[in-house]
Parts: sequence; C-alpha cells; structure tokens
Amino acid sequence: MIDLVPPDVRSRLKGLRIVTRRAVGAHGLGLHRSHARGAGLEFAQYRAYEPGDELRQIDWKLYARSDKFFVREAERESPVAVWVLLDTSASMGHVDETRPGQTRFAAARGLAACLAELAVQQGDRFGLMALGEEGLRLVPPGSGPRQRDRLLIELMALRPSGGFLPADRMGPLWERIGPRDLVVLISDCFEEAAADLATKLAAAGREVLVIELLTPDERDFPFAGGHRFRDPETGHELLGDGAALRAEFLERFGAARAALRARFAAAGVRHVDHVTDLPLDLPLRRLFAAHAAAEYS
Amino acid sequence: MTPVLLLPAALAALAAVMLPLAIHIARRSEQRPTDFAALRWLSAKPRPRSRLRLDEVLLLVLRVLLVALVVLVLARPALRGGAGEGRPVVVISGADPARAPLTAAELQRARWLAPGFPPVDRGAVAGTQPVASLIRELDAGLPPGADLTIVAPSVLQGVDGERPRLARPVRWIVTPGTMPEPRAAAAGPLRPVLRHDAAHAAEARYLRAALQALDPAGSLPNEGDLAGPLPDSPGPVIRLAAGAWPEPVTAFVRSGGTLLVSADSEVPARAGPAVALWPDAEGTAQVEARGLGAGQVLRFTRPLRPARMPALLDGDLPARLQALLAPPRSAPARALAADHAPLSTGSVAPTLPLQDLRPWLALLIVGLALAERWLATARTRAPGP
Repeated sequence: MIDLVPPDVRSRLKGLRIVTRRAVGAHGLGLHRSHARGAGLEFAQYRAYEPGDELRQIDWKLYARSDKFFVREAERESPVAVWVLLDTSASMGHVDETRPGQTRFAAARGLAACLAELAVQQGDRFGLMALGEEGLRLVPPGSGPRQRDRLLIELMALRPSGGFLPADRMGPLWERIGPRDLVVLISDCFEEAAADLATKLAAAGREVLVIELLTPDERDFPFAGGHRFRDPETGHELLGDGAALRAEFLERFGAARAALRARFAAAGVRHVDHVTDLPLDLPLRRLFAAHAAAEYS
Repeated sequence: MTPVLLLPAALAALAAVMLPLAIHIARRSEQRPTDFAALRWLSAKPRPRSRLRLDEVLLLVLRVLLVALVVLVLARPALRGGAGEGRPVVVISGADPARAPLTAAELQRARWLAPGFPPVDRGAVAGTQPVASLIRELDAGLPPGADLTIVAPSVLQGVDGERPRLARPVRWIVTPGTMPEPRAAAAGPLRPVLRHDAAHAAEARYLRAALQALDPAGSLPNEGDLAGPLPDSPGPVIRLAAGAWPEPVTAFVRSGGTLLVSADSEVPARAGPAVALWPDAEGTAQVEARGLGAGQVLRFTRPLRPARMPALLDGDLPARLQALLAPPRSAPARALAADHAPLSTGSVAPTLPLQDLRPWLALLIVGLALAERWLATARTRAPGP
C-alpha cells in the first residue's frame, strides 16, 4: 500500500494531538476526558457480524448457541469522533502548472491520512465522508489501526470528479455526525456549498475545522502565454493570456479568500489555509499545536 | 564604388522571411487548454494580448538574416566602379602641369593620361597615347558625380572624329604644348609582287596589266614564278597557285604582309573570319579578306576569267586592286584642344566594371548557417522551433 504520509511528516505528527474546544465528554475512552470512564467495557448490544469486524469481537458462546456470528458491541469508547469530510469535486483534482503530477487531491488525501494517524495515536474514533456529486461515501467511525486501514483503502479508491455533494443528499451526513463530534472539512472551498456546509455544521453545535487547500497556481498564477482556461466542474472556458490576467486574478481571488475567512470567523469555524507545496503537517500544527500545550501539559 | 543589384526583382523573394517569423510566433498564438479550478475569479478578457511575442529572438534574428542573405545572393549584388580615386586629375602627355592653374593638392595627385595612369611626378610618359580612348576608360571607371580634371596641350593627337561624350562635366584645362605628330607613312607607289605558276599564267595577264597601269612609270611589275623571293617589306604579294602555301609565305603574312591569292588556293584554317569585299553587280563578293597573324589574306572567290568575273575587263580594275592592296589610311586624329573639350551626357556609363559580391556573401551565409545550427542544437533549449 502506498504510504500517504511522508516519513518526515509522520515523525513530526508524534508531537501533535487532536484537540477539541469542547473536549469534555460524558463517557468513553481516548485521550479526551470523559465522565464515564470505562464505559467502553460495558455491554451495549449484539449485532450481526459484518465482514471486516475483528474476529475477537465475535461472541463465541453466542455462536455456540445460535450457530450465527454476533458481535458484542460495547458502548462508545470515546466521547469524540473525528469526522474527516473530504471534498471530492473535480476542482480538487487540479494539477499544478509548475509541478506536473502534483494534484490538490493528493494533498487532501495525505491530510486525511495524517488525521487518521493522529486519531489512532490518541485512541479517538474517526470516520470519513467523501462529499462527491453522486453521493456520500462513508467510512463509519471506529478506532484502532484497522479502522485506519479501512479509511486508507477508501481514500485510495476516491477520485475527484463532478461537483460538490448536492444538498438533497446530505441527509446521512446530518444523521451521522453527532453533537460532540469534531468535523474537519478538507476542501478548496471554491464551491459555495462547501462553505455553507461548514457554517451550518458550526451553527448546529458541531465543532468544525476547515482546512482550505490551495495550490501554488492559485497563489502565484504562474501561467504565461495564451491559455484556454477550463473550469473542470462547470466546463466553462475562458481564453486569456496568463500574464495579462495575473494581477486582476490575484486581486479578486484574494478578496474572495478574505471574505470566506471573515465568514468562517463569524460562524465560529476554525479555518486554516494550506498551499499544497508546503509540508502536510503544517495546517495540523497550526490547528492543534497551540492547544495541545495548554490542555495536556 | 556603388553597390548595385543586377537582378533586383529577386528581392521579391524577401517574402520568405515570413517563414522563420511564422515558426517563431506560431506557438504563441495557440491556446493551450488548461484546467483551472479557480476559473470563476478570472475576469474574461476576450483575446490574449495582441502584441506579437517571439520565442528565442536571437535565433529568429539569425534565421531572418540567413534568409535575407540568400535572397540577396539571388539578386546578384555587385560593386560598380573600379578602384578609382575620388577626384582624379589627369595630364595628357605634352601638356605642362606646372603651367596649369592647379592647386598643390591637385598637382600632387595628378596622373598621366596613359595606360595604367602613372603619377605625374614619376616623369613624362613616352610615346603617343590614344587620348580619346583613355579619357573614356577613365570616365567609365569613376563613380557618378566624381569630378574629373584634364590638363591638355593645345594640340591633341589621337582623338576621335567626335568630341568625347562623358558621364560627367569635365574641367578641361588647355596649356601651351603640342603632341607630336606621328610619322606619316611613305606614300610611294604601290609595287606588289606577282607570283604565279604555269597553270595560272593566263589569269596573271589581267593582273599584270592592272599593276602596270598603277605604276606611274608604267614599268612591268615584279613578276616571277613561285620560287622567286618574297619582298622584305610588308608590301603586298599576289600569289596565283592552287593548294596550300609553303611555310615562308605563311610567315610573311603573319609578320604583317598582305597576300592576294587565287580562288583555288587553300587559306590556313587558323585565319580569322572572312569579310566580303568588292561586290559584283549582283552583290556577291568577289574577294574575301581574312586576318592571319598581323597580316591579311585576300582571296578571289572565283577564277580570274572574264566569263566568271566580268570585272576583270572593267576599266577600274587597277583602282580596285589599289584599294584592295594599299595599306589603310589612318583617320585624322589631330585636333585643337580648345575645340575638343569633352561633352557631358550626364548618364552613367553602363559599362562600369563590376565586382561580384556573391562569393563573399556565400562565405557569410555559411558562417551564419553554422551559427544558427549551433544555437539551435548545442544549447539546452526547450523543444520548439
């Protein structure tokens, strides 16, 4: 399997912790404090075995009685689930002009893998939602290295295409994300729907972090000569000379980013922007590092 | 020295410089399709910048230069005019440059009007020069607009029947002095030598009679058979015999003699082209003349019998013979310099000497082609034109 997390980034991740601002849960294990310490050992229910469940979770006594596989499900172990919301619209597939082969989506995948790595480190549950036009692709929250592998397999299968998740298919998203959960949205935030989703989640009491992924092309606009610019989502085309368009693009793009930032700030969404030619752990460090020192010293 | 193009129409091929230009701007005009997610923040400008943009300007300049030079070669560039001085001053031999109103600088660069135009301070040139011919040569070798000063003696020798027509106005200075008159040729009576074999004895009678009539004393001409000696002087010889000549006769003609032969005689193949002379009543030549060495061979075109050549019986046969055999009289070549100032036609002589520039251009083209290849291949460059 391709390692999505570069070794240097992996080593730097060891010093990081995923921290929520409302990290006092009522119960569960994991790094976050819980009033119901040890509740995860309590029996909650039986449910039918599903491929992918760990064999040791199967209740063999029940199997002996009923000749069917059942899994003992315990109470939720951590009060906090980390949801990685990954934008898979076509704009995420942007290929850099100056670094051929480098896409925005590769960076997004790496960030998701880093978050999974962090969550595994501290025992939190984590899940993945891929927000594509054709619907939500979901990895239900879980914990442990196997959950991480499930998530990585799902990540490798994702391809950016189409638009953002339509509003009428957001139902499962609202059902799944619990009130205490931490939501990390990884997106370029070009679509209005992505920003809307983040602000709505924040308004609904979830803690929302937005990692805004930009490519060097949008930061520097290095195009020279005549280009036929094409929007990969809408298919709109625009003929233009790179050098002539540059100044105005940078100005308008910067204004749009500033407006987005103000909107997130107003909605209580923690926001960090990240340019994909910088190290992957940088946005996580900016999101979590300051809090880690305060909370877990 | 004026640069000229002998085939200016070839410059139309300069349109070929569009070729390298097109190669170097073609890539700019194409629109590379580019996926760009943040398109909505791009403001639409309908056209790319219209100003022409060129790749690799140095290479383009080389290529355009190369094409232009090839076109230039097609147009046959040349330098018109010899290596003449700007404002020459020439002195016709016989004139005294010291008595002419010349400045010191002009005196310094004065030259004799003689073949090679030697400087005046090297001493006078010997002999009589063909003045008119040399003046025309000098004029033809000068660039248009150059001044020409000629110092002439008051009496000129060796001029044409007409005043020289030059491409420029000439400062014509006449100083006292006279060019020597050439020694007049001895105008003695024509005494041709008549030689014939036995077969042509009957034909020789007419000529003998005509020669006798020509002689003022009425004496018989110097007549003999073929073995008789030839005269020392280049006086004319009449030889009536069939077939080829012996070597002494050929040598006589080559050294400047005039020879009149019968129709059945063989003229050496090396003789020059024939010139028709003495037409009869129908206009057919009765004698043809050909040059051989320094001399001249005249040949009757038909046997000397009245049935074939009625002119033999005419009363003007002696005069005709005299005209054929007498040396050509020289044209009058002496004139007063004051009346012989050259005329100006104002037109450039079309016969200026030309120096072809194409070999040098070819060298330049080879050098440029090498430089172009070097620039286009040896350098690490983006794939392109």
